[in-house]
Amino acid sequence: MSLSVPRPAAPRARGRQSLVPYLYLLPFMLLFLVFVVYPVGYGFFVSLHRWDLLAETRPFVGLEYYRNLFDASTPQSQFFWNAMKNTAFFTVVSVPLLVATALGLALLLYRPIAGRAFFRAVFFLPGVLTVSVMGILWRWMFDNQIGLVNAVRTDLLGLQPVPYLSSEGLAWIPVIVGTLWWTIGFNMTLYLAALGNISQSLYEAAEIDGATAWPKFRFITWPLLGPVTLFVFVTTVLASFQLFGQTLVITSGGPNRTTQSAIQYITEEAFSNNQFSSASAMAFMFGLAMLIFTFLQFRIMARDARGES
Amino acid sequence: MKTAKLTVLLLAAGLVGTTAAQSYKGPKVALTYLHGFTGADRPVMEKLIAQFNATHPNIQVKAQAQPWGTTWQQLPSLVASGRAPDVVVINEDQITNFIARGAVSPLTDAELKASGISKARFYGPLFKTADYEGKSYGVPISSVAYVMFYNKELMKKAGVTKVPTTRAEFLAAAQACTTDKSGKKAGQAGFDPKNLDTWGVSLYNNWVGARMAYAAILQNGGSLVDKQLNANFNSPQAVEAVQFLVDLVQKHGVARPNSTEEAELAAFSQGKVCFFPSGQWYLDRFEQQKMDFGVAFVPRIGSKQDAAWGGSSHLTLPKQRAGYDANKRLAALEFVNWMTQPAQNLSWTEAGSLPVMPAVARDKKFEGRPISGVFAKLSGIYATSGFPWGGQVLGPFDNAWANAYSGKMSVKQALDGGVSEANKQIEQARKTFQ
Repeated sequence: MSLSVPRPAAPRARGRQSLVPYLYLLPFMLLFLVFVVYPVGYGFFVSLHRWDLLAETRPFVGLEYYRNLFDASTPQSQFFWNAMKNTAFFTVVSVPLLVATALGLALLLYRPIAGRAFFRAVFFLPGVLTVSVMGILWRWMFDNQIGLVNAVRTDLLGLQPVPYLSSEGLAWIPVIVGTLWWTIGFNMTLYLAALGNISQSLYEAAEIDGATAWPKFRFITWPLLGPVTLFVFVTTVLASFQLFGQTLVITSGGPNRTTQSAIQYITEEAFSNNQFSSASAMAFMFGLAMLIFTFLQFRIMARDARGES
Repeated sequence: MKTAKLTVLLLAAGLVGTTAAQSYKGPKVALTYLHGFTGADRPVMEKLIAQFNATHPNIQVKAQAQPWGTTWQQLPSLVASGRAPDVVVINEDQITNFIARGAVSPLTDAELKASGISKARFYGPLFKTADYEGKSYGVPISSVAYVMFYNKELMKKAGVTKVPTTRAEFLAAAQACTTDKSGKKAGQAGFDPKNLDTWGVSLYNNWVGARMAYAAILQNGGSLVDKQLNANFNSPQAVEAVQFLVDLVQKHGVARPNSTEEAELAAFSQGKVCFFPSGQWYLDRFEQQKMDFGVAFVPRIGSKQDAAWGGSSHLTLPKQRAGYDANKRLAALEFVNWMTQPAQNLSWTEAGSLPVMPAVARDKKFEGRPISGVFAKLSGIYATSGFPWGGQVLGPFDNAWANAYSGKMSVKQALDGGVSEANKQIEQARKTFQ
């Protein structure tokens, strides 16, 4: 009730007024402290100690586990940076594909073509599958011996089969193709919604000026899709950094750790090797990399917003 | 000496003048029991628990089934906070780690004796899976193993009349089973090992495939770790054993290069391959397909002993806080003993487990069943256990097998690389396991 009180009110009322928003924030603050701040702080504490829940002593070792990551002779440094490199590679290759393909599909399916709803559903539906179902499916498709892809190569094209799953480099193909198939519908839907917001009158005006398809896309559609492209780009990059399930199920991170993602290696160090401090240190390094990236994103976004206003 | 300990125990439990070691006579207690049998094996376990509760009015077991992974993550904090369940089932790949970290309490000889649990009842290596530094920490309740499935029809067609048990027989049988797409046999001019129509043996590149290499290494007298528990799966015996398997692909052309478990499974189901070494858990699948198949122990590729990989689950008593009710421990031991009696173990095999003791393997129920083909050698099944750094050893080992099998590296190179990686990781792990 005091929310609508106009500004020149009694100082007492103003005091109450400024308390109200904090009361609204309180539930979230509590959850944030308990489920975000505390675990992060605890994780940092763990990364500074030689830590095991069952050990009688948990000595403070300072930055030892961080130093290990920069000491080339340790397996942690070797595998962690290898996994980071793999994750970066996946992001750099898959993000442009995920953005461009989604835009292409949206442009095709925005037109009033026959069976439009059916095709929209076809591209959107794979997204409802869990990562394990999607992973097994694509592992089968690209199997070295019984996969559909190799069956097409040998039986239809008369080519030699290719051992996709166990060849360094090639093992990325099922992962990237699978991810594309699995997540494209979400980005496509965002683009379809954005296309619906572009006023037809702009296109009509352009047609009167004699514009053909390409200039219409270049000077009307593409600029007006700018904000949604930025959104799609940022969310897709963040999702790609979190690569975990696809490589776990399709390639198990192999061959020879060439498709092991950062999160997969951190999980291995924590729950397979029982090295929780080391894994925490890696998680913080990974988090730092994400933080730097997100910061750059915000800079770009801010500039973009300024450019538009 | 032992009697003295026993008396102390019984007195501590408030028992006066009892001689019946096999049944708990103390006041009524409730036990919590945590296990990971959450699949088709869950109803079988629940039936057994209900049976135990019905026959033991003074012990009430409350079971909780949850995925294994959840238990591995929760157990340390439950133990650390003094809220551990009274009985927990731990698998062979985790048990030594939990023992080394102090999550599980040792079962003394006196306790085992007093509760009627006799080591001699079980297959020796299986019981020893839960041993560490001379002490026992668990009693086996469930077991799976690496076996060799064979396709009778295809073997007959190839003229193989005997299931191979030695290296020479195995190679000869595999060669007889191998034909390329133009009908040529291995060794004939123009034989194309890359285009096989039928072949001798399934090898493949994941961790299950790597268990064939594990079997071969053990058979040759090698091991995964040495006495100091450092990785040593690159010993001459190990290299020789793995080289034989890799030669099946590269030299003899009787196995497919670069194959996957799924591909070999499909090929075996379709009658394309004579011998499919894998987990005995595929038994159900082949029985339902009404295939004409048999199950044998992995043939002896090495020169020293029969051996195959096995996985197992063990009933353990976690470490409890000071002042834990001694009656509960006695009741828990009673439960462990009852659950691992031949009658109960026989019921448990319904859930897909192999017998954990010879008395059960001899049961009439298994007569004529394909799986009974491995029973004579169940005492030759060895878990990857006994060292607290399972992940640090098995990860590099599985990777080394994949590299050797794919021909990416020589066998020696691959195993050396794996050992060096494992030992670097062990060196770091040692600091946390002090």
